[in-house]
Amino acid sequence: MGSNAAEHHPISFKWVLQAKDKGATVMHVDPKFSRTSARSDFHVPLRSGTDIAFLGGMIKYILDNELFFKEYVVEYTNASLIVGKDYGFEDGLFSGYDAKTRSYDKSKWGFELDADGVPKRDKSLKHPRCVYQLMKKHYSRYGIDAVSSTTGVSAENLLKVYKEFAATGRADKAGTIMYALGWTQHTVGVQNIRSAGIIQLLLGNIGVAGGGINALRGEPNVQGSTDHTLLYHIIPGYMAMPNNEWQTYDDYVKANTPVSNDPMSANWWQHKPKYFASLLKAWFGENATPENGFCYEYLPKIEKGEDYSYMYLFDRMYENKIRGGIIIGLNPMNSVPNSNKVRKALDNLDWLVTSELHHSETTDNWKRPGVDPKTVKTEVFLLPSAHRLEKEGSVTNSGRWLLWHYKAIEPAFEAKPFGDMFVGFMKRVQELYRKEGGTLPEAVLKLDYPDRYDPEELCAKINGRFTKDTVVKGKKYRKGQLVPSFTALADDGSTSSLNWLYAGSYTEEDGNKAKRRSTSQTPMQANIGLFPKWAWCWPVNRRILYNRASVDLNGKPYNPEKAVIEWKDGKWVGDVPDGGWPPMATGKGRYPFIMSKHGFGQIYGPGRQDGPFSEHYEPVETPVARNMFSKQLNSPVYKYVSSEMDKLSAPADPNYPIVLTTYSLTEHWCGGGETRNIPNLLEAEPQLYVEMSPELAEEKGIANGDGVIVESVRGRVEAIAMVTVRMRPLRVHGRIIHEIGMPFCFGWTTPGTGDATNRLTPSVGDPNTTIPEYKACCVNVRKADRLTELAT
Amino acid sequence: MPKSFLIDTSRCTACRGCQIACKEWHELPANKTTQYGWGSHQNPQDLNANNYKLVRFSEHLEDGVVRWNFFPDQCRHCVEPPCRDMADMVQEGAIVRDDKTGAVLFTEKTAMFSPEQFEEVRQACPYNIPRRNDATGMMHKCTMCNERIHGGMLPACVKVCPTGTMQFGERDEMLQLARTRLKRLKRDWPNAMLADPEDVNVIYLLTDKPENYHEYSVASNTFGPMSKKQFFAALARPFRAMKA
Amino acid sequence: MKLDRRRFMKLAGSGAACLSLGQLGVSLAPVKAYAAEMKISGAKEVVTVCPFCSVSCHVIGYVKDGKLVNTEGDPDYPINEGALCAKGAAMFTMTTSHHRLQKPLYRAPYSDTWEEKSWEWMFDRIARRIKDTRDKDLILKNGKGDTVNRLESMFLLGTSHAGNEECAIAHQAMRGLGVVHMDHQARI
Repeated sequence: MGSNAAEHHPISFKWVLQAKDKGATVMHVDPKFSRTSARSDFHVPLRSGTDIAFLGGMIKYILDNELFFKEYVVEYTNASLIVGKDYGFEDGLFSGYDAKTRSYDKSKWGFELDADGVPKRDKSLKHPRCVYQLMKKHYSRYGIDAVSSTTGVSAENLLKVYKEFAATGRADKAGTIMYALGWTQHTVGVQNIRSAGIIQLLLGNIGVAGGGINALRGEPNVQGSTDHTLLYHIIPGYMAMPNNEWQTYDDYVKANTPVSNDPMSANWWQHKPKYFASLLKAWFGENATPENGFCYEYLPKIEKGEDYSYMYLFDRMYENKIRGGIIIGLNPMNSVPNSNKVRKALDNLDWLVTSELHHSETTDNWKRPGVDPKTVKTEVFLLPSAHRLEKEGSVTNSGRWLLWHYKAIEPAFEAKPFGDMFVGFMKRVQELYRKEGGTLPEAVLKLDYPDRYDPEELCAKINGRFTKDTVVKGKKYRKGQLVPSFTALADDGSTSSLNWLYAGSYTEEDGNKAKRRSTSQTPMQANIGLFPKWAWCWPVNRRILYNRASVDLNGKPYNPEKAVIEWKDGKWVGDVPDGGWPPMATGKGRYPFIMSKHGFGQIYGPGRQDGPFSEHYEPVETPVARNMFSKQLNSPVYKYVSSEMDKLSAPADPNYPIVLTTYSLTEHWCGGGETRNIPNLLEAEPQLYVEMSPELAEEKGIANGDGVIVESVRGRVEAIAMVTVRMRPLRVHGRIIHEIGMPFCFGWTTPGTGDATNRLTPSVGDPNTTIPEYKACCVNVRKADRLTELAT
Repeated sequence: MPKSFLIDTSRCTACRGCQIACKEWHELPANKTTQYGWGSHQNPQDLNANNYKLVRFSEHLEDGVVRWNFFPDQCRHCVEPPCRDMADMVQEGAIVRDDKTGAVLFTEKTAMFSPEQFEEVRQACPYNIPRRNDATGMMHKCTMCNERIHGGMLPACVKVCPTGTMQFGERDEMLQLARTRLKRLKRDWPNAMLADPEDVNVIYLLTDKPENYHEYSVASNTFGPMSKKQFFAALARPFRAMKA
Repeated sequence: MKLDRRRFMKLAGSGAACLSLGQLGVSLAPVKAYAAEMKISGAKEVVTVCPFCSVSCHVIGYVKDGKLVNTEGDPDYPINEGALCAKGAAMFTMTTSHHRLQKPLYRAPYSDTWEEKSWEWMFDRIARRIKDTRDKDLILKNGKGDTVNRLESMFLLGTSHAGNEECAIAHQAMRGLGVVHMDHQARI
């Protein structure tokens, strides 16, 4: 659900089919019947943007029929915790809502604490304010009729999925959910995933073999680029970006280090100061000392509550507030919503550095169709980049495995790796500051920045080093030697590490573990397909997160046939456990969900911007005028920008009655800048198409293969009609609603293939992530009189 | 004993790894393709001199349930290849069979064929496989990656296949595997069948009716009431007579 | 008839690969002799990782005389076990595609053409642009008087195509400069 694995992660589907061979039922819930649906046991079409209604119905089904895994729910999730009296939910809004700021006061959602500051619990789950009871009440509104009418899924199909999936709530069964951008790209994206998290916690499917909610990360190294953080709001290792309220190192540490008073909670983030200090040591080297707060003062501080993601960046660029920047290996002129606006916004830059394998809609934006280059002021630098085969280094896969790729050939022509480019201009910027001085030169000059790009050396620096002679567990390490694990990191300046999660990946003892290629495993590991000696996995080579939730209080696997870990003869065997503490029943154990403050799986999630439980809201552009579940039509806290080009169509606007969803496809990657230039892939998927049902095509007088115009309130796009029974009309709110789908990988720099689908999509985003709502907006479609963007 | 493929369409996700791997190994240039007037994921639209392998897409609605069938089409490397028999009448050795692998191969000598003679060869093929490069006059189709097999490797399309759709091995092993798979699939798919297993070295396992994949998915489909054996025999007869 | 390697490669590369009897080992040449002529025979095998979705399939690049001659799935990697999808299978021509950018290109303001420049020239000019922007626009204090040291008028976008080490030094560079507008495909 929320993914099309066979098309977008084709090799992952190899393993889905093997599970199917062994008797697993594979269900695909998705607006479009795709290649994934073709190989699933069955496909259930639903309207884009109604996943929470669908999943809320499943939560209700599980609770009503008591199909949840009781011991797991009571012991390992926060179902038994008592929520404070301030929590409330009425007519689509949680308590603490401020309409003016469109935000919640999350302090209203806190747990009730005892005298020691530990959350109160009722393991009988009867207390009216325990999470279990609040959840039951919250989802009681998600009856089959309302869900069916909202999603367009028949009652029969709903029950078929609910029954099949809820059957995994037994100790000897596991169920997994594979999701991807089909869930994230909504104004309720995070809550889509939270809904799945609630279901999987209820069914005891987290931490077990064959369980989990699997984020199928879309891009080549997007796990690594997130861990190492090409993002504004965090710094490497998932720590918050400093903001203006944390003026000093001490302010930062105090505000960001959670405290738990429960001796049973590991509260792993209590170690954050060690990771943060080590990161600053790695950034500023000798210049960072405990006395100067490890150079914290030089770091930029974002304005608290401000959003610096690309949606806002392009809005500010459009408003002429941005002077210049760098775009590498990304084609936002195709892949960012409301392309007409972002293409115009880019013209406002004074300078732009780009780096690519090929010309793209971004590098060549200044000469896009309809624009006279002589009117565009931007100075553009285009640097030819090296391909994966032309450089070495590490990447991290969707399962957090750190993998080394070797250099096979020299970069073609004059291409260089991105790493060489950063070093190339940063060394010169440092040189200029050294020579000329300038504004706050210390922040630049005090950086311990490499003189040349050496991935092997940087991999070691990411792992981390001792900055003075140290003894760890009786073993002596000299200054400059590699730290063996993140447990060796310290907050006194004696260690450095560019990313604590990767500490242990490159050690004195075993070298660069990304290069390990052994398939050896114990029979217990082989039984569930773990390969602990192939490469390395963060954290500490643990392959299945929260694996202590797979065993009972005595450390015995709930499912001995598929054991992940087991307490045997006084120690854990199998996978690397989530902390080495003995089983809970000994009294010396720790709750298994060590990364959450209280140690529990969070059925109730008080940290999110849009509520502790998920709630169905319509997409910002919706074909219906009301929400079956409350008076609140859209998310009360979704993000948006509001230039004159950011138009939105009204709910149920008769001019735009059709739902559009957008997607990628097997043969092209993201904005298509790379794959369109691979002739064999372009041969297989040559042009922009729009998939629509025969019913809609007939209504609009469109035949398969016709050129059509798809229009939203923001723009129009030419496409070729692909009339297919794989798109089904859906019965929603008692009438037929049509949905169409388009890929977004085609662009004008590959002539005749079509141009940006994202000219149609809106700049509205999830309140937690600001990921835009690419998956649902409203459009109309008609037959084209003539085509200019597509070769005929 | 020659080699055989088993192509189990019940497992195919149409990822097209095979279609692309074939092009990459043989370094075949891309064709210019279009969706205009076509509107299908099946691209290029048909086999051609630059595509020895093509995943065919076929969809239909059956009692409200969508069926989307994928058919990775290629030369069947017939046990008694009628294309060779036909070609022998024009030029011996233009089409040959490697007895060690069972690969049926078009050689450079096919360039001697006129367009009409090529057309006769194409029509002799019950699966509509042979294609001609109009520039060079040579005939093209799947080579079974014969050189890879001699080098101890799998055909490129088999090696690349993630799902187990493409299988390759000794003919008797593949036949056995085909029967085992068929038996299992019959439970859920009463129409499941093997396409012409006795006559070809590329055996397709189908779960739906043959016409729901592709016009030439099985030989008998095209040739009415005649049994497959009769059909192959009939094709071979006149050529043998002539050669004698 | 026995083809030498050069001629075989020419045939194979011409896109009109049609095999001669000799090549096929059918009757004129021993089978082994032909097998030895396979384009990857004697090539060095280098392990790399597919640059598309984050299943991170392993791929073997076959390199001869410093040139890539073929790519195939790595049968040892326990996840893809030698298999690849359409994109992964296209890694060979992906790397050899004639569309590749060859040299650093510069487009002056209001110009309608690209000009070729040296890397040195580009680095110098980019460094100058960055420094001037930073010197002019670095915000040392916000409206409330808090120290913020941030550069809002410059940004970095991309990329998940970069390796971990590249991301790590990109992030470090940007924070050193004070950049706060930083984003990439993870938010797409």
